[in-house]
Amino acid sequence: MKEMEQRLQKEARALLEQGKVDYIIGFEPGSLKFTTTPLITKDKEDVERLVINPFIVNNLSVFLTELQGRVGIVVKGCDSRSIVSLIQDNKVVREDVVIIGIPCTGLIDLSKVELVTGKDRDELDDIAWQGDKITVRFDGEEKVFPTEEVLFDNCLGCECPTPQEYDILLGEPRPAAPNLTASRKNLEKLDGMSSEERWDFWKNEFSRCIRCYACRNVCPACFCKRCFVEESEPQWVLPVPRWQDNLIFQVIRNIHVAGRCTDCGECERACPVNIPLRSLSKRMYELVDELFQFKAGMDKDAVPLMTHYELEEAEDFIR
Amino acid sequence: MTTSQKIKKTDLGKLLNQWSQEFTVLVPWRENGLATWAKWNGTDTSFIDWYRNTVVPAKAHFLPSQEEMFRFQKDEKGYHIELPDADEHKQLIFGIRPCDARALTIVSPIFEELYEDPYYLAKRNNTLLVGLACTRPCDSCFCTSLGINPAESIDVDLMVTDIGDQFLIEGISEAGKELIAGASEVKEATEADEAKAKEIKEASYQKVTRKVDTDNIKEKLSVCFEDEEHWEKVADNCISCGICTLLCPTCFCFDINDELVKKQGTRFRSWDSCAFSIYTKMPMENPREEKWRRVRQKVCHKFEFHPMSYDIIACVGCGRCIRQCPVNWDITQVLNNLPAKV
Ligand code: SF4
Ligand code: SF4
Ligand code: SF4
Ligand code: SF4
Repeated sequence: MKEMEQRLQKEARALLEQGKVDYIIGFEPGSLKFTTTPLITKDKEDVERLVINPFIVNNLSVFLTELQGRVGIVVKGCDSRSIVSLIQDNKVVREDVVIIGIPCTGLIDLSKVELVTGKDRDELDDIAWQGDKITVRFDGEEKVFPTEEVLFDNCLGCECPTPQEYDILLGEPRPAAPNLTASRKNLEKLDGMSSEERWDFWKNEFSRCIRCYACRNVCPACFCKRCFVEESEPQWVLPVPRWQDNLIFQVIRNIHVAGRCTDCGECERACPVNIPLRSLSKRMYELVDELFQFKAGMDKDAVPLMTHYELEEAEDFIR
Repeated sequence: MTTSQKIKKTDLGKLLNQWSQEFTVLVPWRENGLATWAKWNGTDTSFIDWYRNTVVPAKAHFLPSQEEMFRFQKDEKGYHIELPDADEHKQLIFGIRPCDARALTIVSPIFEELYEDPYYLAKRNNTLLVGLACTRPCDSCFCTSLGINPAESIDVDLMVTDIGDQFLIEGISEAGKELIAGASEVKEATEADEAKAKEIKEASYQKVTRKVDTDNIKEKLSVCFEDEEHWEKVADNCISCGICTLLCPTCFCFDINDELVKKQGTRFRSWDSCAFSIYTKMPMENPREEKWRRVRQKVCHKFEFHPMSYDIIACVGCGRCIRQCPVNWDITQVLNNLPAKV
């Protein structure tokens, strides 16, 4: 990863120096252990702070719609698909972005590390990655875990570790090796429930929602200037965090991102009250694939799923 | 002579059960990995081992994330308002941390000075706080910079400190002293117990390593208030969600909404955030349309404007806004790197 990081810094500097981009968006070390934070800069001296490690969690493409000018952006596989999807929706112009791709090995889910070690993240001394094992050091001990136990669910099922679209690739492309069983564990549980049990499950989960809208705001597919929850005439859903309204909010949000969601996992990761949002978004992702044989963000020239229809396939009410 | 008492850790359940006869007792609880508050279930004291602080602050039990204010109906004669029953239920929060207890002391005047808020005050006046000293502060905590010792509090009714296989209990308020006066499992503490607690308190203080320089912070913020370029830089990675404000124990903004079904309705209030672009859109416009203005507001309100009116900084260094932020935006870095030196 060190090599990749050096190459990234060099490429980013060159892009800024040659005036090919106005901004670089990447990751720099965060202020807490095992974190990174988005670095958005015009200054070529800042590129020395760019890092690549298993904690580069944010989907940076979410910043593209708010920046003016040309942008060099660091992406993982899933993030690149979000950019492609934004291009399909005319939200981003391909020529305005220089995509710097990372062939991604997956990211470490600190909540899982906490679970398997029984320690909080700030009590761990080190997390190191070797091949298919992750070594965690704490209290003077070392424990080794298979990556499968500590990677994010969505990373375990990743279909596209190499960015789908890029201008610069920082390493050799990586073949996809999705582990569906591991990645669908939470969904599997829900599949096995009766509809009453599922209803109770979601009622309980959504009772915790505080309507911080982090799930929406971290999501590159949620690009509406004004979200339907903010409309008061008509009022589709109350901005009051009652579980029923929370559930409706999330159901509608998932319909709105259908065909745009790339299973980047950011919504679930960002949720401060641990609502398993990916169990909805990933299910929608699967439904879109089953019903329309469509996967978001795979082809920038393909017509977007939800804003396009053919006359001959239209339902009567639409004609 | 000692002034404090103690109880065996294994007897804590009994004490909580005793209190449960009079109060709704809330204790730290984990739900799907989330540390939050829940009603004491009569048996589980395992939080003693894992609890550091809750993600959802105790303010949620005074200013809930959503609350029914009243119901109303309309007929030919006009509107009829039906107020909820007076809230007389007594609660006891066991395990509140010194930072969050201070936060309530900071927030309460907002709900009682200019205008008496019956919803908040009913809950506040019917609640006793039993503080639990922090012995494992998080790496995001910076309470000591705000004048708080993580293991001491004057903002609670009783203060409890873990001294090994016992808890040392100190009565802080009269109500707190009364609360343990009749408790059968409680014994007089020895001088050795008190010495041990003192040691633990000093050690805890040292464990908080994150610092903010609050000297002249009001003035520093005031000097760089107009520095648009600076605030743009500070705000650039923020995604304008509500996490840092809604989960902040000293943030108190709320929104009011009516739900109207035919001629009947309910008025709710719920948490609101100055980070939202839609904030105050209903009565007027949001004067802070650009993200950097909203981020600046959050910082300045806590460290400049609130101190101007109430003579106290509206931050207790609990670190939630750092721990929970999806982009690791860090208020301590912002405060320590202001361009103005005063
Ligand atoms: S819905 Fe969630 S998983 Fe899908 S693109 Fe948005 S943030 Fe990523
Ligand atoms: S991130 Fe979680 S708590 Fe926040 S609005 Fe979304 S579901 Fe609710
Ligand atoms: S939690 Fe972080 S991203 Fe969300 S509003 Fe606060 S600073 Fe911005
Ligand atoms: S501003 Fe942050 S650290 Fe200060 S009280 Fe609020 S959440 Fe805690």
